[in-house]
Amino acid sequence: MALLLVFFVVPNALLLSTSFLKSEAQQLTGELTLENYAFLFGKPLYQWAFVRTFVVGACVGVLTVLLGYPLAYFLVRTRSPWKGLLIALSLAPLLASVVVRTYGWYIILNRFGVANDLLLGLGLIGERIAFMPSTGAIIIGLTHALLPYTVLTIMGSLNGINPNLEQAAMSLGASRTRTFLHVVLPLSLPGIAGGFILAFSIAISAYATPAILGGPATQVMATAIYGFMTQLLDWSIGAALAVILILSSFLLLYAAARLGARQAAL
Amino acid sequence: MRPWSALRAAVVLVYLFMLGPILITAAVSFNESNRSQFPPRGFSLQWWQRALAPEWLDPLWFSLKLGSLTAVISTAAALPLAFALTRYRFKGREAMVALTLGPLMLPALVTGVGLLQLFQYAGLREHIGFTALLVGHVVICLPFAVRTVGISLHTLPPNVELAAASLGASRWRTLRHVVFPLTKSGIIAGAVFAFVHSFTDVNLSLFLVRPGEVPITVKILGFLEFGFAPTLAAVSVITLLLPLALVAIVEKVSGLGDFIYGERARV
Repeated sequence: MALLLVFFVVPNALLLSTSFLKSEAQQLTGELTLENYAFLFGKPLYQWAFVRTFVVGACVGVLTVLLGYPLAYFLVRTRSPWKGLLIALSLAPLLASVVVRTYGWYIILNRFGVANDLLLGLGLIGERIAFMPSTGAIIIGLTHALLPYTVLTIMGSLNGINPNLEQAAMSLGASRTRTFLHVVLPLSLPGIAGGFILAFSIAISAYATPAILGGPATQVMATAIYGFMTQLLDWSIGAALAVILILSSFLLLYAAARLGARQAAL
Repeated sequence: MRPWSALRAAVVLVYLFMLGPILITAAVSFNESNRSQFPPRGFSLQWWQRALAPEWLDPLWFSLKLGSLTAVISTAAALPLAFALTRYRFKGREAMVALTLGPLMLPALVTGVGLLQLFQYAGLREHIGFTALLVGHVVICLPFAVRTVGISLHTLPPNVELAAASLGASRWRTLRHVVFPLTKSGIIAGAVFAFVHSFTDVNLSLFLVRPGEVPITVKILGFLEFGFAPTLAAVSVITLLLPLALVAIVEKVSGLGDFIYGERARV
């Protein structure tokens, strides 16, 4: 417990306080200031980094739900003897580091990569296309990296739905599709919201994927923080960015909790 | 049954999306040429040979050491914590839960930045590297261990402990001979999750490395700046196979599946 206090609470408190200190010539001074925040919110470069971070987070959230829902529904309802193996297979990617999984997309998307070879071979494109660095590539990479989390969350809520409800609906003459739309889908909404927010909040703080599939022109908050901390060595601005990141993910989690509370109240 | 077949087709596509890049990475590592050709042309083990050189084995070994130590320490710390949180109602319990699960809510990247500052300002600059990484990894892996151990304590009826106590067993004896054996699979699962989380972490480690003390994930990330190299594909496959083997073995011996489900169902 003391360990957590010293190595978790103190660093975060430190971060919060440095973010309000002025730094000159890469040295922190004792002077209190809001300049760090003003700097970040004033520069178009960082304004775009904020916007890009949240656009990426939202897109990744939506895509993981769209891809994850069918898979989760299938895994929960299937009577296949391979069910256990299929579930394990859908979670196995979590055992690989995000770096490794993103590297797979690098191999596919780079200028001399698999996608270009394939499209050239099929005669669909005349010359090689630069799929990356781009925001789109970051979105694809993160969707791939975070999909298992969303699948797990949605599976959790689908598992909580009594299968008898579906049978009841169908025995009353509702088609399979109708049953799904009017019974299963509404009941699994908390899982959808949970999966979306989980993916969103991890995506906005992800570093590796934007670093590999993006570039200087596609900065996000995490890569900007890394730049300030290790290359520009302006720790107070780096700290201010980190504080903004913390607040964003807290807001998301708070929204999730509120949503969950409302669901429970209904 | 039409909708079900459509769903099946969709599921196949999702699996392809999920596993395709990993399989392509594996395939490319056997390429003969120095390009990411897929399907691979020719067959060669030269990239694997290079992947097994000290340049890559050292960070791999470093990550293994870091992950194992993290798993041992965070599980050992998780035992009393999880026990207190599931068995007792006390003042400040809510705060303790929040503090324990906090690192799960906050981005690990931020914790990394904060720890870097702490070590720097506290005059512990020379401990940045293995020590700082170990501390950081224990902090971010502890929630996984506490949760997993907590789940197995939850499923254990308190009556068992009462029965042992009423038969005259001391508190320690009850823990040692009743609670511990019955929650063993949860403890092992917690340690495995902590190991995997540590082994695959990059967001926190990024800030706390020093030359010669670099986990494999950060090493790969740094190397990627030089572009594509089939060696990296081979290294990637190795780092995937290690945790996979560990999880497969533990699943066979004591079971993991319930904890993944249980754990995530509580998110």
